[in-house]
Amino acid sequence: MTGGFSLELKNVRFAYSDNEKRQDFSLYVEHFSPKGCTALMGENGSGKTTLGKLAAGVLRPDSGCVLYNGADIAKRKLGQIGRCVGYLFQEPSRQLFTAHPLTEIAFALELQGISKSEAEARAMELLRQFELEHIIGHTTYTLSRGEKQRLAIAATMVMEPQFFVLDEPTTGLDKRRRNILVQTLHTLLAKNIGILLISHDREFADALHADIRIMDGGRLVDEKA
Amino acid sequence: MKKPDPRIIFALVLVLSSFAVIIREDLKLMAGLMLMSILCALAIGVDFRKMFRRLKRLLQLLLVVSILRSIFAPSGTILLESWGIALLTVGGIEMGALVLLRFGLFLTSGAMLTCYPVRMLIQGMVQIKMPYEIAYMISVGVRFIPQLAEELKDSLIALQLRGVVIEDLKLRKKLSLYTYLLLPVVVSSMQNAKELAMSMDMRAFRAYQSRTSFFKLMLCPSDIVILCVISAFAVFMSVVLIMGV
Ligand SMILES: Nc1ncnc2c1ncn2[C@@H]1O[C@H](COP(=O)(O)OP(=O)(O)OP(=O)(O)O)[C@@H](O)[C@H]1O
Ligand SMILES: [Mg+2]
Repeated sequence: MTGGFSLELKNVRFAYSDNEKRQDFSLYVEHFSPKGCTALMGENGSGKTTLGKLAAGVLRPDSGCVLYNGADIAKRKLGQIGRCVGYLFQEPSRQLFTAHPLTEIAFALELQGISKSEAEARAMELLRQFELEHIIGHTTYTLSRGEKQRLAIAATMVMEPQFFVLDEPTTGLDKRRRNILVQTLHTLLAKNIGILLISHDREFADALHADIRIMDGGRLVDEKA
Repeated sequence: MKKPDPRIIFALVLVLSSFAVIIREDLKLMAGLMLMSILCALAIGVDFRKMFRRLKRLLQLLLVVSILRSIFAPSGTILLESWGIALLTVGGIEMGALVLLRFGLFLTSGAMLTCYPVRMLIQGMVQIKMPYEIAYMISVGVRFIPQLAEELKDSLIALQLRGVVIEDLKLRKKLSLYTYLLLPVVVSSMQNAKELAMSMDMRAFRAYQSRTSFFKLMLCPSDIVILCVISAFAVFMSVVLIMGV
């Protein structure tokens, strides 16, 4: 059992500054502290991904703060955040860095000084868990959408983060692979690892017994019927 | 004021950038050329605030080049020295300034082109007898550049979120990171290009041999005058360069 990791957003305000012309989107979250498995749902463009990125330090709030275990992350480097928070991007192909599935999972460990053989053994284990053994000889960029997605999920898991932000992890997965993902996430939850799930897939969220929060126009709204 | 025809701008850009390459050591000539191109750019309506933001980074380059030049090819008065090695010389600064001006010229030339809608640029290229496919390819390529930069940024973020603290890595490992970063960008741009080509074919891009267009560019009298001025300028610069004034 890992000691529970707590994530908290307080009075967070954020607007994309690079497009000065259309400042129609702004996000405000007064207090958000997901426990266990929390699912963010809502329309396209309602700000789910933005909130997830704020939670993982990819975007920094204009005001307010993001706290990990009570400590502000404003000064932390992204790489340090990456060691306790795993992030799955909505688009899998931009987060695959190497030509081979095995090295894709193992390289981050190797960069941390873990021996090649051990890193690859751990990578193998994850590939097996996600039923990806058959793609070991393939190149990562010719994989199918769903295979890429699963490889990307496996790769974020290898660092054993204490919290996950998963941006639409089920897109492109078939029913069987989705069920495997449900099981994998259940084992994480059993280890007291928190998950912030961004998804349009209500069934998937229910299978994880997620606490469902709805976003609309950059605000968290409480669920109505 | 009406903007000149894009073809005029092609000529101007061609002249400016050729001289930026041809002029080797003559700082005064280069500065003159730069001044001229800035005036043209202002006339066309280039947004210089944006340009200066980019130039900031170039200023650092200027300094680095000046120092390197001063150390390895010292010339002129020595301004800064330590342990008998000249760190900064007048010649070095001049070389740095030359490099800066050369880059500045390319930047202003490029910025002038971005003042025109893509459709107009393609039409201009087609009307100077460039094959439509190539004209289209160039315009698409230019459009992909910002997207590439965006993707590179995303990959860098994704890489760090894998728990890689770039600042803490040893130099050799840091270098290996660049290959990791380039892979997704190169692969995705290749796939983008392939998909774009396919979808263009599906929309019957090259179904007919000769493509006509409803929209045609016309040279007006003022364009002719500007073209004459540009030609005269090119001749004048060539004479100055050949005579070696
Ligand atoms: N990098 C950016 N620059 C400017 N605006 C952005 C940027 N990213 C997102 N936006 C805008 O912010 C708003 C929220 O986007 P976000 O990606 O958070 O939505 P989402 O809820 O994740 O939608 P989806 O269900 O489609 O994934 C959108 O209106 C979008 O246009
Ligand atoms: Mg999203």
